[in-house]
Amino acid sequence: MFVIAKREFINLFKGIKSIITVLFLLIVSYYSAKFSEVISIGIELTASEAEGIHTVGILTLILLLGYLFVASLSHNTVNREMEERTIRFLITRTSRQSIILGKFFGICLFWFVTLIISFLLISIFSQKVDLFIFLQTMSLLIYQIALIILLSVIILKPSLTMFLGIIVGLSFPAVGIWLAFTSNTWVSWIKFITPYYYLFNEDYTFVMNVILAVIMLAIANQIFKRREC
Amino acid sequence: MNVIETKQLSKSYGSAQIIKAIDLSVKEGELFGFLGRNGAGKSTFINMLTGIIYPSSGTYSLLGVKGPNDQVKKRMGVMPDYSTLYSSLTAMEHLKFLSALSGNSASKVRCKEVLNLVGLQNHGGKKVGKFSFGMKKKLGIAQAIIHDPKIIFLDEPTSGLDPESAITIQKLIQNLQKNGKTIFMTSHNLHEVEKICTQIAIMKDGQIIKIGTMDELRAFYRSKITVKIKHSPIPKAEQLTLYEWLESAGSDLTKEVNSLTITVDDEKKIAEMIRAFNQCKVDIFRVEVEEPSLEDIFLDE
Ligand SMILES: Nc1ncnc2c1ncn2[C@@H]1O[C@H](COP(=O)(O)OP(=O)(O)O)[C@@H](O)[C@H]1O
Ligand SMILES: [Mg+2]
Repeated sequence: MFVIAKREFINLFKGIKSIITVLFLLIVSYYSAKFSEVISIGIELTASEAEGIHTVGILTLILLLGYLFVASLSHNTVNREMEERTIRFLITRTSRQSIILGKFFGICLFWFVTLIISFLLISIFSQKVDLFIFLQTMSLLIYQIALIILLSVIILKPSLTMFLGIIVGLSFPAVGIWLAFTSNTWVSWIKFITPYYYLFNEDYTFVMNVILAVIMLAIANQIFKRREC
Repeated sequence: MNVIETKQLSKSYGSAQIIKAIDLSVKEGELFGFLGRNGAGKSTFINMLTGIIYPSSGTYSLLGVKGPNDQVKKRMGVMPDYSTLYSSLTAMEHLKFLSALSGNSASKVRCKEVLNLVGLQNHGGKKVGKFSFGMKKKLGIAQAIIHDPKIIFLDEPTSGLDPESAITIQKLIQNLQKNGKTIFMTSHNLHEVEKICTQIAIMKDGQIIKIGTMDELRAFYRSKITVKIKHSPIPKAEQLTLYEWLESAGSDLTKEVNSLTITVDDEKKIAEMIRAFNQCKVDIFRVEVEEPSLEDIFLDE
């Protein structure tokens, strides 16, 4: 599992796409933090809002485009290996579960590191790292990574997961946030499986996202176990 | 101990039964050749053993453990058919990554040693995307042995290689066997299997039609030993009796001047024939015996 995780992690950092994504995130974090104080002058803020002002930039970005980022880098993490049959070198050496988990942890580590660097950059201005917001954001990413792995296992065509990644990535936040607040009982139950619903409270309900991720990984594992490669 | 054992192992795709209830055992230390034409079902069979695909019915065990089993994988080396490697990794990176995945991380020295064995010593740092077909195949074999597995599955290890490389690989496979590995390889090349394998199964349409050592297979098919005899002129008086005797002893008798060709079904007949010639006071200058090659057997079936 750790070997796969390491490989996945290194792979992500080697790609040009990931470097651009990370740089973009870092630049947004840096400048939004830098200018947040300037911008917020003249706006009435509550104490907690004022406290979180520095992280607004990166939060907005990950809330709105997080799935798109994760998907663009990792949508084909499993199905590409199925298509190119490199997966055969993995499944003949280790359990299928450790392949799924290895990929999951590898991708998580990549985003964990990226997010840490972003938050450290922000702390230059805010003079502190907001651990709670960091964990909330990470829980969102963990949910999204698990979802992407699940889709990559279910859907065999990388071009399809790419397409789906863009569609879902663009609509997910809007739909998710709408679901969280809608009173339409026919659809509002769906909010319980979207990650946003668990981010609005300032408590540890965000842990639900990690639980949902575990469930998605378990499903992915069961499907992958039955797959012939 | 049987390193590989299958019981009624079968595989169907829809209504097509590709592998038909195969019972097979392979002993430790064997270099087992699975021979069959394209489409015979060789890859389907080997892929079931290596856990790439699953049997429709029947069971198998590897190293005494019922499969599929994740623990056994660590002691198994596999070169599957038609598998591309990672084009963005170098040969060296492949060996490091894959050996670590098998739980037996290879040192740089070990990687170089194995690259040397397959003839890729000068290409360790090259990205596999730039490799030729033959080089990829060699790396495919290298990755199958890098972690020093007990049992090695090779699906057509030499197909598509130039003759020189093919010989290098065949020698390598033989050496692996000498070092105590059990090797299960498939091939559609008779001469290769004939040359290196200690046990051979001939597969056709998803069934094993014959199994044994090369000698056993030959013995079974020995009904077609062609004997060519060069002899001194046969005295007129003896000609009729000798030819009559020969015709009863064998078949396809062709007579030429002071030589003849005949097909017999048993090696012992050759000695009897020589005695018959002697009794007729005919000297024998030369006896050429042509045993059937596996190719004849193979094509016959
Ligand atoms: N996934 C599959 N679906 C349907 N038929 C298959 C599949 N894989 C192999 N076959 C069929 O099984 C037969 C045996 O194939 P294979 O095992 O690859 O033969 P070999 O390796 O001996 O050349 C072929 O007729 C092939 O078309
Ligand atoms: Mg084949």
